[in-house]
Amino acid sequence: MTRNVRPIVAALLGAGMLAATWPGATAVAAPTPRGSVTVSAAASLTEAFTRLGEAFERKNPDATVTFNFGSSSALVGQIQGGAPADVFASADLATMDKLVSGGQVVTTPTPFARNQMQIAVKPGNPKHVKSVSDLTDIGTIALCGAAVPCGIYATSVLERADVTVPESSITRSVDAKATLGAVSQGDANAAIVYITDVKAAGTTVTAVTIPDDQNVNAVYPIAPIATASNPKLAKSFVAYVLSPAGQRTLAKYGFLAP
Amino acid sequence: MLAAIAALLFALPLLGLLQRAGWSSLWEDLSTPAARDALRLSLECSLWSTALSVVLGVPLAWVLARGEFPGRALLRALVLLPMVLPPVVGGVALLYAFGRSNGLVGPWLYDTFGLQLTFSKTGVVLAETFVAMPFLVLTVEGGLRAIDGRYEDAASTLGAGRWTTFRRVTLRFLAPSLAAGAALAWARALGEFGATITFAGNIAGRTQTTPLAVYLLLETQPTAAVALSLVLLAVSVVVLVALRDRWFGIRR
Repeated sequence: MTRNVRPIVAALLGAGMLAATWPGATAVAAPTPRGSVTVSAAASLTEAFTRLGEAFERKNPDATVTFNFGSSSALVGQIQGGAPADVFASADLATMDKLVSGGQVVTTPTPFARNQMQIAVKPGNPKHVKSVSDLTDIGTIALCGAAVPCGIYATSVLERADVTVPESSITRSVDAKATLGAVSQGDANAAIVYITDVKAAGTTVTAVTIPDDQNVNAVYPIAPIATASNPKLAKSFVAYVLSPAGQRTLAKYGFLAP
Repeated sequence: MLAAIAALLFALPLLGLLQRAGWSSLWEDLSTPAARDALRLSLECSLWSTALSVVLGVPLAWVLARGEFPGRALLRALVLLPMVLPPVVGGVALLYAFGRSNGLVGPWLYDTFGLQLTFSKTGVVLAETFVAMPFLVLTVEGGLRAIDGRYEDAASTLGAGRWTTFRRVTLRFLAPSLAAGAALAWARALGEFGATITFAGNIAGRTQTTPLAVYLLLETQPTAAVALSLVLLAVSVVVLVALRDRWFGIRR
């Protein structure tokens, strides 16, 4: 399959450099990963993985990383439906397990980051939200779909805080990013999303901390897909995410060490 | 050969949907509270949106068909834009126009009338009308252009006022186009997803219409999602059959 992607890489390099740098034409001692790798990753990883991918491409000039961000559960549906993916990074273990039990992932997934939930409110917190229990009577709040990891985590947070929000006050968005968008751009008064999403949103929202005893520990696992078109490159991307450089990037975006 | 591929492209997804249908549990799937709420809400909002499209769209079609003024082509382009615009972009646009916190007129609507369109049934109707009304306007405009003006002239020379002429002559000729336009607008409103979820949100029982429910149920209860899809498919088929003379009506 590597041979199939070479023309693409060559085209990217440009015709002028083609003669000089055609992979294989020059004798390279250590084989560097080359080709293209498609990474399906949880929406909450959007900023961190985009940066990570750029760094990976700089380190491996012959490799191209393509990302497919979405809710982990939707991505699993796509992979099970045969969508081309070489690596899957999920926002929870349960969603990853669906691929393991379905045989799409044959190696043991490796936890590479942790995340926690936070309440996002309008800038300046006009509704004076101080805790999870304040979410019951402030109008519409945004949560992820009940089957999406961030929606499952939000449900756990509400349960641990012993808070019931009527379903008629909950708008359910398709993934973590859209959920936060309902607060930053739309008319939802609060959202329960990942700390990293709130951090990425900058000044468009204000964060309200959820105490540890009510919070969850979201473990993010990563694994190459069994049917990866470029298993070597898939493995080396996973290795890069787990490397000190990869971990530093994740930490910069607010992820906790696994 | 290429035509066969094209036909397959349409037929295969349809077959895929039908073979996944759980026919035995169909009624059960459709009578869960979530499905019932979504269907009821869809019916209610799409009918309101069709009514709104008729009330506002017919005068607009009239202006486009009969009016002589500079910028008519521009106005038509504006009206047709939602037909080619990705619905989710329409939803974003609606949000920045009517949103309570970031909208152009939304904050004023809220402060003056206490009206919040986002996360409300009215918001769903607005989003659906935004994408559906162009279908009505276009069809009715075509119908108006096809009317032979001499009938209307004859009516007025015989002493009929403008309203009488419209009601007894124009409307008679216009009825088929009006019905077709309304049916198309209704079908489009019923299937609306992108603008609705972006602008009106996705609140069970309030703004979660059938297409939104299909999308969310797909991950938890695929058979229920397929059951709801079949309802939408059946409605589309009914609209097609009702309009068959218009599209398949090759005079023999």
